[in-house]
Amino acid sequence: MRAKDFITLEGVTKQDLRDVLNLARDFADGRALGMLAGKTVCLAFFEASTRTAVSFELAARRAGAVVISLSEKGSAIQKGESLLDTVVTLDRLGADAIVIRHPSAGAARLAARHTNAAIINAGDGCGQHPTQALLDLHTLSDALGGFDGLAGRKIALVGDILHSRVARSVIPAFRAAGAEVALVAPRTLLPLDAGAWDLPILPSVDDALDWGADVLYALRLQNERMTGGSPRIPSVAEYARYYGVARRHLAGGALVMHPGPVNRGVEISGDVVLDPSSLIPAQVASGVAVRSAVLALTTGAVESRVAA
Amino acid sequence: MREDLVIRGAHVLDPSSGLDGPTDVRLVAGRVAEIGDGLRGTRHLDADGLHLFPGFVDVHAHWRTPGREDEETIETGSAAAAAGGFTSVVMMPNTDPIVDKPVVVSGLVRRIEKESRVRAHVSAALHEGLKGERLTEMRLLKEAGAFCVSDDGLGTQSAGVLRNGMLYAKTAGLPVILHCEDHTLATGVVHEGAAAALAGLPGSPGSAEDAATATALVLAAETGAKVHITHVSTALSAALVGFFRDRADVTADITPHHLTLTDELVGTLDGTYRVNPPLRPRDDGIGVVEALRDGILDFVATDHAPHASEEKELPLEEAAPGFLGHETAFAALYTEIVLKNRLLLPRLVEAMASAPGSWIGGAGSISVGAPADLVLVDLSEEWTVRAEAIVSRSGNSPYLGWSLKGRIAGTTVGGELIHDGMGARFGARI
Repeated sequence: MRAKDFITLEGVTKQDLRDVLNLARDFADGRALGMLAGKTVCLAFFEASTRTAVSFELAARRAGAVVISLSEKGSAIQKGESLLDTVVTLDRLGADAIVIRHPSAGAARLAARHTNAAIINAGDGCGQHPTQALLDLHTLSDALGGFDGLAGRKIALVGDILHSRVARSVIPAFRAAGAEVALVAPRTLLPLDAGAWDLPILPSVDDALDWGADVLYALRLQNERMTGGSPRIPSVAEYARYYGVARRHLAGGALVMHPGPVNRGVEISGDVVLDPSSLIPAQVASGVAVRSAVLALTTGAVESRVAA
Repeated sequence: MREDLVIRGAHVLDPSSGLDGPTDVRLVAGRVAEIGDGLRGTRHLDADGLHLFPGFVDVHAHWRTPGREDEETIETGSAAAAAGGFTSVVMMPNTDPIVDKPVVVSGLVRRIEKESRVRAHVSAALHEGLKGERLTEMRLLKEAGAFCVSDDGLGTQSAGVLRNGMLYAKTAGLPVILHCEDHTLATGVVHEGAAAALAGLPGSPGSAEDAATATALVLAAETGAKVHITHVSTALSAALVGFFRDRADVTADITPHHLTLTDELVGTLDGTYRVNPPLRPRDDGIGVVEALRDGILDFVATDHAPHASEEKELPLEEAAPGFLGHETAFAALYTEIVLKNRLLLPRLVEAMASAPGSWIGGAGSISVGAPADLVLVDLSEEWTVRAEAIVSRSGNSPYLGWSLKGRIAGTTVGGELIHDGMGARFGARI
């Protein structure tokens, strides 16, 4: 992985993933501290975030970078400054990396066309959320005895695939790591052309377990991204009945993941979130080291091992 | 214009009058006076090696006047049209203010007389504010100079309003140009297909157009109004138009971009590629080219839609929808459709000139007595679409950087050379 920017995981290779995860392991084990000393990292969040924003800030600080945080309130964004003008300003002020969260797909890619600073996509609309997928791989590697432990595993993505940028990043990432992926969702929460990914589509969490899922990866119902006034599910009760991960699904040893924030009682029942089979807390914990690694790779603080 | 002008030696191609070969055309007093070999006149234009077609007719253009003259004016829009070989254009009413009052129409008509290089016609709005509620004063609009009425840009969401609009337009003697889009289905920004799924862009399904097209066609058949469906972009909508061809007074057009581009481009997430109706998958592209070839779709219209850069340099889902169309229309279609053997050149000329010319009336034909609205084209010239060479006031062409064949060498309206891509090769008296 040697690129100025980190925008998408479409087309990512197994070696790319191994490379960044190895570096993340160094950060997690305290072997890479200070690597970003002298670097300036700007966080430009045009959309609300708790875990991603905090995680990136910690990732940059722990690696020694100076961090500037920009939010919509209290910045010129509120005065109507465009995305492009904001990132160009940060770029000319000397940012080495700009971390962008934005409600529209393609925002990070647009920014990258106009900046010298590394652009890191921290989530763009329904597009991509690539660091989420990396921290998921980091978490799963820990749970499955290493990165190679993912090969041949079966991962079911459950829920609102249509509006999920996490899905669009984890699908190519999990497949590149050698895992099998299936989608579990009603047709109203899948792209019309669900064959775009060429993945099996299953009708319920129970069917996912019959398919042999090792991991149930639940996705949040993203009401705020649903366009048009027409309802996509009849009721939360019916949705939870078929697409909610419940304690009874854990008996066979399946692991549970969720990118957060969780709607308890909708896509996942409350007693599952902190169950021993839940990797959700570990996912959050993985975020810092993984994001330090991404910052180090994109700002050139560490040379690519692929290129070497 | 008292002097006459002879265009000599061009390959004259006009399917509507059966002309297809090198000959001379003499223009006098703004009209075609004579067609034949060895013609003489006070001035001549040596057009050996060029093709001469009837001037192109574009029934769908947004010149952004009044309200967004930073994006296009009548002067710049008509210059862009002339540079693309268009000699007659219909201006759409979704301006600011919307063209829904007689005074706005008469103001536009006066400005066109002063500022337009080509013949421009005003389409008024079908309903007030294009809100789909109250009908406009169509008879007064017509008296003020409106050529037709349209709901372009938004479509008409209520079938009841659309039906009354058609009936009243028939009373007023105005054709109706319809933008067919059902807003309960069209909730996205690109075509809902594989490209949108992978990119994570909100999609609008083909049914958003097809359902609205079907409704419009059923109502056209019932009311007997003269209805024109603009920018048909799906194979199914084209087939529906074909089904109603003998059941209603209906015609339809297709844009150059829907004939040449597919939704794969939205995978770039570049705001340039947002357009409405959205770029469709390859199968629709094949279907609409065949429909144009077979005459199920009558003609081409560009939906020339200039946008300022700040409305396009945005993430795709925030960008304004629309492409420039005038300047690249012929070359894009000639290069991508004709030279790839999917459409014959005479049919393209018919679809860009004769057919829309006969729809607006009295245009699109090279015949004695017809207006001398002509376009000279160098089919062999290859050129690259460059931002700095664009004549329009805006730069949002989806073909930037493309290499196209077929260059507009000259355009005449009423015998006047209003676009000169040749450095005016006028000869002396002979």
